[in-house]
Formats: sequence, C-alpha cells, structure tokens
Amino acid sequence: MKDMEFALETAIRAATAAGRELSARYDLKFRVEQKESLRDIVVDADRAAEQRAVEVVQASGLPAAILSEEMGYVGDPDSELRWIIDALDGTVNYVSHVPFFSVSVALMERDEPIVGAVYAPIPNDLYFAGRGIGAFKNDHRISVVDQPLGSSLLAAAFSGKGSSPDSRASEFQLFQAVNDASRGCLRTGSAALNLAYMAEGRLNGCWGRGNKVWDVAAGLAISGAAGAVVRSRFRSDRRDLVDYSVGTPSNTSELQSLIDEYFGGELTGHVDVD
Amino acid sequence: MASRHVLIYGAGAIGRGYLPWVFHPDDYRFTFVESDPRIRGLLNQQGSYSTFMVVDGEYRELRVPVDGCLAPGEELGESLRPDVIATAVGPRNFLSLREALGKAQAPVICCENDSSLPGQMRAMTGNRDIYFAVPDVITSSTAPEELLRVDPLSIVTESGVCYVEDGAGPLVLNGLLVSAEEMRSQWAAKLYIHNTPHCIAAYLGDVAGVKFVHEAMERTEIAGIVEGAMKEVAAAAQVKHGLDADFVSFYRDKELARFRNTLLFDPVSRVAREPFRKLAPNERLLGAAQMCLTAGVQPDQLLLGIMAAFTFSRDGDPDAHIALLRRSLDPRDFLSTILRLREGESLFNLLLERWESNLSRLEAIR
Repeated sequence: MKDMEFALETAIRAATAAGRELSARYDLKFRVEQKESLRDIVVDADRAAEQRAVEVVQASGLPAAILSEEMGYVGDPDSELRWIIDALDGTVNYVSHVPFFSVSVALMERDEPIVGAVYAPIPNDLYFAGRGIGAFKNDHRISVVDQPLGSSLLAAAFSGKGSSPDSRASEFQLFQAVNDASRGCLRTGSAALNLAYMAEGRLNGCWGRGNKVWDVAAGLAISGAAGAVVRSRFRSDRRDLVDYSVGTPSNTSELQSLIDEYFGGELTGHVDVD
Repeated sequence: MASRHVLIYGAGAIGRGYLPWVFHPDDYRFTFVESDPRIRGLLNQQGSYSTFMVVDGEYRELRVPVDGCLAPGEELGESLRPDVIATAVGPRNFLSLREALGKAQAPVICCENDSSLPGQMRAMTGNRDIYFAVPDVITSSTAPEELLRVDPLSIVTESGVCYVEDGAGPLVLNGLLVSAEEMRSQWAAKLYIHNTPHCIAAYLGDVAGVKFVHEAMERTEIAGIVEGAMKEVAAAAQVKHGLDADFVSFYRDKELARFRNTLLFDPVSRVAREPFRKLAPNERLLGAAQMCLTAGVQPDQLLLGIMAAFTFSRDGDPDAHIALLRRSLDPRDFLSTILRLREGESLFNLLLERWESNLSRLEAIR
C-alpha cells in the first residue's frame, strides 16, 4: 500500500506540475503543428508540460518505463511498470480556448492501470485513484452513478490514425445508436476527462475505439476505482491503442450489446483497480 | 414504565451517550438505527447498556433499556410509530436519511453539527417537522477500561444542555426550547468557541501522538495554542455575531475546563475525524479564520491549528487522503485545488507565507 501511495503521489505531482505549465501559457499565442490528422496537433505548451511531467516521474526513482504522447518510449517498452503520460489531452480544445482539456498520468502494471491522476487546469479539478485506495476528486471520494441506458449521458472518443473508412463509418453508426438509446452521447475532445466525469457520476458511460493509451490509462484507473464496469483491450502489439467501454451495472450490458452490434464481441478484458 | 418511544438514528457518542439523558428512560423507550454491526449486535444481545455522566468529578450511571437496534433501512419496514425521532449520524450521513425522514410521522430533532442541514432536509422531503438542536456537551465515543470491562457499550458524557429549536412541540425532554435568535447565538458559540478550539486540540494531540484530548491539553505548548486560537475566534465571533462579552468569557472558561476533563476520555481520533469537513469554507477552521480576518483579528494561533489539520493522518478516517495530498502537492495547489481558496486572497496568502514556519512549530510539538 505504501508503494501504491508513493506512485499515486508521484502521478498527482506530475499531473499538477504539467497543469501549471498549461495554465501559464493558456492566454498566450500558440504555434500549432499538425501531426497525423487535422485534429492531431501539438503546441509548445504541450511539450513544456510533458517535460515537467516526465521530470517528476523520473525523479520518483520508480523502476518504470515512460510512454508519453510526444516523446514516445523512454526505457524498455516491455517493462512490467510503465508511466503513461498525456500532458495535454484535448489539444484542439486548448488552442481554441474551449476549457475542456486535461493532463493524464497513469502507472500501468503490465496491461493494468493501477494508479491514475487526471488534472483539469481551468476548473482546477484533480481526479485521482490508486488500487486499494479508492477514487477521489479534490477533497472527496467519488463513485459512479448507476443509471439504465435510457437515463444515461455518455461520451465517445473516436479513433485517430489507422481507422479504415469502414471502421470509421461503424463508429459513427454506433455513436448514433448510443445517442438515440440514451439521453445523449457527447464527443468532448478529452477522453481522459470523459472517464473522470464518468467516475464522479456526471457521465454514466464512455466508449472509445482505437484510443491512444495515454489518453485513457489514468481515466480507466479512476473510473474503475469509482465502481464502473470497465472492459478494455489493447489493439496492437505496441500496447498503445485501446478499445474500451465503461458503464455502470445497470447500463453496461445494453451498451456492450450496441458495441457488439457494430464491432463484434471484441471487448472481453476487464479492468478494475479497486 | 416509559410511555413514550424515541427512535434514534446513530448509536455513537451523542446518540447513545448523551440523548438518553435528554429523553430519559423513565419517560421513553429506545430504538436505535445504527450502521456499525458490532454496536448493533451488542445492543441487541445485551438489551441495555450504561451511559455515565461526569458530575462533580464522579461518574453518574444511567442504565438504558433498548427495545432494539436496527440496520439502516430496516426501520422502514417496521411499524415503530415513535413519538419523537432524533438523529446523530454525523453531518455527512444526515441527508442519506431522506427517505426515512420524509415519511416520519413524529417531530425530528436533528443533533448534527451543521445548522444548514435541517433546512436542507425540510426542502428535500417537504417535512416541516424537523428541528435543529445544539447539544452543548462533549460526549466521548468510548469509556475508560474499567467501565468497558463491565459493559463494552459503556460511554461517557459530560453534563450539558441540549438547545432545541422552538416549535418542536410539547416533548418530554431535558432540553431547552429556544427562539430562533437564541439558537443563532448558541450555534455561533458552539461552532466557533467550542468546535474550533476543540478540533485544534485534537489535531495538535495527533501531532504529539497522544490518544485523548485531555492528554493533549496537559502539554503546555498545545494548551497555549488552543487557548490562543480560542481567544482569536471568540473575539471575532463577538464582533460578527453580536455575542455578549460576559457570555463569551463564560463560554471560553467552560470549554477550556471541558477539554481538560480527565474523566471524559474523548479520543483524538473522534474529535479530529473528517478534517476536510472541518476545513469546508463555512466551517470551524477556514470559516473561522475568514471570520477573524473580516473582523480585524489576526488568526495567528488558529493558522497553526489549521496547519495541524493539514498534517492529520489516520488510517480508516474517511479523509485519510488529506495527508497524501499534502505530501503530493505544492502548497499553492493544495490551498487552491483542494481547499478551493482563491489565489491572492488574504487567507491564502497568510497560510502560504507561514507554511514552513508553522510546519516547523508543529515539528517541535512532535
């Protein structure tokens, strides 16, 4: 437990340190570089924040590799422990001054996220969880709010590069089906915050296809610790793309059925850090 | 034979220890609703227990017969028909009684340490028959070993007064029905002149590694900080709440004597529990400090007590993560993200300026 607490302290320190960099540069002009797609971009603030987060986890001395969005792997990709960092999840929102973006820092043991911290700088909210410790927002413990699908608000995160046209069409069809079967399905631009909102009951379900692991690892840890039913699987040998669905006891079967209808029964894994 | 029936939610310190002195067993039969299975099991197995009141330096025993102790929710399926309902479940748990209190057919006396709760419950349930009460008393959640050996449910309380919001009706109780204005004064005194220094004594006791509040008050440096914080907050309460100077002076002396009472065995862990609740904006720590600043009182000792609350670490406490957060976060982030103080406001600046020096002073106590 003490090791788990130390890892969680490190994740919190890294997330808030990176968040300070983002806040400090939020009102400045950005130099935007496009990466793999129109909505896959990077800004200076992103790199500065990532540098801060990486420094913090390196200083912790934990024997873990680091996988971060801009730097890629530092250390052995096959390491049993991996820090997974996205210093700015929701970059398009950030550069557009839509305040829905976050820092995401997780520690994974093999394929399981055991510690997660998601920090949203503009509302100044910190979500965090560790295996055996529980899930929290700022000063208080959080838990999911169980709802049937018809009363649920959900959020989706679409895949990035690598989606075939067929797959993309299926994603949009699934999005429509989930939207019509519920109070709505949002596409917010920050998968990490979707999952954090899920953990505190603002949202009642999330799903994503081919999401980057750095976008969702911390959020999966937090929502799992908050009582969500988490199904996920890695899509690639590099263990950097994740399919997942996260629901509550009352809506998970129906959500999964819809996903199965469009993508087959692929999600069989289960992650529950608490 | 008691002719009336009281249903009490919470068989902890106030519920089990003090309320039987208010609703006396000569007049009332007792049913409890309690979430702790150990206490529930013992109450049902024994069928009675003893609460001890400290009077003139001695214990006075009251044996309390118990009709039964139910798990939360079980009472909804019973046809209990109590004449009065009292709650002492803790402020964080009170609103979870919504369903039960919405259906209540008897006056509800809310003995929770938060004056906003009866109004919230009235609004949530539509039940107007809910009244705030201030038990002006310290009740331990336990008792000394020699009493526990005879009865594991033994519990110790002081002699005190239970102020009940007027309108609760002609109940048979050893409490005072008071006007709304008098209740506001009593609540201000309880919140700031009792609760604030009481929890500071507990947090400093935790730093010093002692088990009971009276042991903390035996340490000269701790007693000095507690008395100093009490003076600061009492001076501010006098200004902001119009409390009479003689009343404040009497109240302060009374409280210091209570904290030092060697017969109470009031656990530090009980008084210090849930530090984040006590650090909420309108509560006894940050709320008291804000009140001092707006009243023109410099809260030097109070800030030291607040820093002691930041360092509280107790496995099993619902807010045990406060220690993890204080270790993890830059002080600036701890104050703004976790405690929601605004950067640049006076209290934020004062806490930040004195962060290291106050930690050093606490280290000296450790």
